Amino acid sequence: MATRNGWHEVTPLFLLMGLLALAYMGSFLAGDRRIRGFGLPSGAEYVGVGFVLGPSVLGLVDRSLLETFDPIAQVALGWITLLIGLGFGVRGRARIRGRGAPEGGGVVGLLLACLVSIVSVGAVAGPLFYAVTRWTGLRGEERATLVAGAALVCAETTRESVRWVTERHRASGPLSSTVARLAQDDDLVPLLLLAPCFALGLATHVPHIPCTMSVLRWALATLGVGVVFGGVAALMIGREVPEGAADEGIDADETWGTLVGLSVLGTGITIRLGLSAPSAMFAMGIALGTFSRHGKMLHAMVDRTERSVLHPVLLLAGARIHLGVTSLPLGLLVFVVLSARTIAKGLLGAAWQVSSPAARKAGPMLGMGLLSAGTLSMTIGLACALRFPGIVGDAILAIAAASTTFGEIVGPFALRSSLRAAGEIPENPQHVSPGTGAAAS
Amino acid sequence: MSSGARHVTGNVVLARGIQLAALGVISMFLYVATRAAPESGGSVGTIASLGYILLAGTLVSELVAVVRLPHVTGYLLAGIVAGPHVAALIDERSVANLTTVNTLALSLIALEGGAHLRTSTLRQGWKSLSWATLFQSVFVLVCTTIVFLALRPYIPFARTLGGTAALGTALLWGTIAVTRSPSATLGILAETRASGPVMTSTLSLVMTSDVVVVVLLATVMVFARPMIDPTATFSLHDLGDLGHELLGSVALGTTLGIVLAAYTRFVRTQLLLVFLALGFGMSALVAYVRFDSLLAFMVAGFVVQNLSRQGEVFIQAIEETGSIVFVIFFATAGAHLDLGLLRRLWPVALTLAVTRAVITWLASRAAGRFAGDTPMVKRWGWAGLVSQAGLALGVAALIERAFPQLGSGFRALATATVALNEMVGPVLFKVALDRSGESSHTPRNTSPSLPSAETAAAEQDRPAGM
Repeated sequence: MATRNGWHEVTPLFLLMGLLALAYMGSFLAGDRRIRGFGLPSGAEYVGVGFVLGPSVLGLVDRSLLETFDPIAQVALGWITLLIGLGFGVRGRARIRGRGAPEGGGVVGLLLACLVSIVSVGAVAGPLFYAVTRWTGLRGEERATLVAGAALVCAETTRESVRWVTERHRASGPLSSTVARLAQDDDLVPLLLLAPCFALGLATHVPHIPCTMSVLRWALATLGVGVVFGGVAALMIGREVPEGAADEGIDADETWGTLVGLSVLGTGITIRLGLSAPSAMFAMGIALGTFSRHGKMLHAMVDRTERSVLHPVLLLAGARIHLGVTSLPLGLLVFVVLSARTIAKGLLGAAWQVSSPAARKAGPMLGMGLLSAGTLSMTIGLACALRFPGIVGDAILAIAAASTTFGEIVGPFALRSSLRAAGEIPENPQHVSPGTGAAAS
Repeated sequence: MSSGARHVTGNVVLARGIQLAALGVISMFLYVATRAAPESGGSVGTIASLGYILLAGTLVSELVAVVRLPHVTGYLLAGIVAGPHVAALIDERSVANLTTVNTLALSLIALEGGAHLRTSTLRQGWKSLSWATLFQSVFVLVCTTIVFLALRPYIPFARTLGGTAALGTALLWGTIAVTRSPSATLGILAETRASGPVMTSTLSLVMTSDVVVVVLLATVMVFARPMIDPTATFSLHDLGDLGHELLGSVALGTTLGIVLAAYTRFVRTQLLLVFLALGFGMSALVAYVRFDSLLAFMVAGFVVQNLSRQGEVFIQAIEETGSIVFVIFFATAGAHLDLGLLRRLWPVALTLAVTRAVITWLASRAAGRFAGDTPMVKRWGWAGLVSQAGLALGVAALIERAFPQLGSGFRALATATVALNEMVGPVLFKVALDRSGESSHTPRNTSPSLPSAETAAAEQDRPAGM
């Protein structure tokens, strides 16, 4: 067995065992519907562990070994985005269908969340475009891909972090609820925009696709595949199950087989066609949840698998981070991105305070409370790293990891301060176990 | 039939029709994608193939259930149709990549098989099992050897062999004929949830025959080697290795069984991930130390069942974890079937398969008479012994490697014969369980690892902190 720096390198089997162990931990953390009993809100520790074990630091896991796990990572990313889509817009017991949606929010809240995402994307893309043009040699599609990918990984406020704060500190009130909804709804924009982003660099990265479609049509085709798969899944799973039909073989095994099969197949087909699998699977999740009569049951069924899948993905993503992108001033680009994102969130927080009475008492840290990033950022970052191997993909993934880490340091602390200032966190809260918060339910 | 029952049946038929149409749409989608982007990397093709096999296998198994065929047949059919020899939705490279699932499936099969063997049942039926093992091993070995020798003029690779070499080859063929299919047996049992003497005797015999085949193969190879290869000498070295392998496997399996029993007793959650780790990690360890993984896992299951009180929970967890794995396992096996080869060799393969089935039936009748089995076991006890699958193919591959003089013809004929037994065997076994009244119509419980929709939804509605 080859050695490096005195360490024995890891075989695929050991890596698989490690990933399974992480999945095991993830399932325990998700058990009993508790989101985060301990650990960091965004799961950044798994990214950190992966980074330390990966080629950039200890070299226990080398790059070629990681590449053997690419198919698993692709399937896992598809599954995670399917889960996000299936739960997208769900308010308690129902899905948003109009202004009168349960527990408020509805379409208006969704539009506001989209607006926040678009502002975040735009605020990062502009300065980064300038920085890439000014300080790197990247031009054309490479520059566009890097700017678009980096902007998309900065779009979200991760819901796990928000739930972690609200549950841990028993936050309850209009501001907590709004932040929780915002964190859930702002996944739409980055996942939709990832579809046209994948149309960039087709000739380089998927030369076997003889396609000359416009970027818009490319994006529509991606979402169309997702909607078709979601519709088919709804037909196969979401039919009205007659009483007594269980005796004739309609059971949970069939549902799992169909859902997992369609998800994996959809992921495989979209990758084969050069489309964005996360976008397509997100669309599939929304379509399935919308068309199926059993959307709520399906969401409840699959939701508990999220942590089991996510933790290994975060570890793989961390291990893939490659800081040796020598031809790019990566530190400078990260600085530009984080600065732009922080300013954008700060301004959004200020605007929110001006426009909403509930947010007025939250203080100046409210915008910083939206800086948390995690699941979606790393998902998009890893998807880009897999799709655009080389300096562009590596840079996007590194920016995603930096955004997640920075958000981890600032976000939960700022959000807690804001909610406390707004009077939505009790002054002397008992130490409570997570899972009891009202806002996140 | 009451109007309510007709309504339910009508709804199910409608649902199956919709599923079939939806599967058609998805198949067209995959067909277009594979034609539009044929030059994609192997791993991408494998992802789509895995999804399609899982989806198609699940749905086709439900469709064939309407005409009372076993789910296993549905999985195989889905694999055959989707595979490289028919619709070519799945290419050969993807099929080869998917066979890594076999390691996991076989470990689950062995664990479950061992867990189904209860000492109380074995004590009651030891006489029956002993006679059945004797007849199904020795009688089948001798008779199929004779049949092979008789058919030698019609078998291309055996035609040119001398008398002694032909006898050695025929003995090796007889060893393959003795192998059964634990996977097909457990696949049918998982579906029918059968219980009764036919199920017990078949399962005991199939799992025992796994050990018997390991011993028999080593013994036959010791004798066949000098018969086929004149330069080889008679050596008992292989038997010594076999003793180490068997003892080591039992010791390792016992240890593993104790650990699993303790885990099931004290932790119990996330058995899915534990089985995954066992299937891949432990299998690799067992292979590394050159023990027999099937035997080790079977002993582990046996220990959990008989040395702890966790047997039922354990079996349930394996069944539920294995449900998806088995779909992939059998559908991949279907896609692996070389229909071209079967077309070329079908007269000889069919003759060998039919005579094996007849010999198995005769052995069962004789053993039943000596052991004083119940009429039901005498009548249907043979039906579950016809199936052959991965174990037989593994033995054939091993023989091909050990006797390169035979060329690829031996393995090709074995593959063609096993293909026939693989298709017919599960159907026969299900018919036997249905006719003997041992099949259950109780729906399966749901998995702790993979919850049903209703359970999950109910839990989500439950107030936090409960």
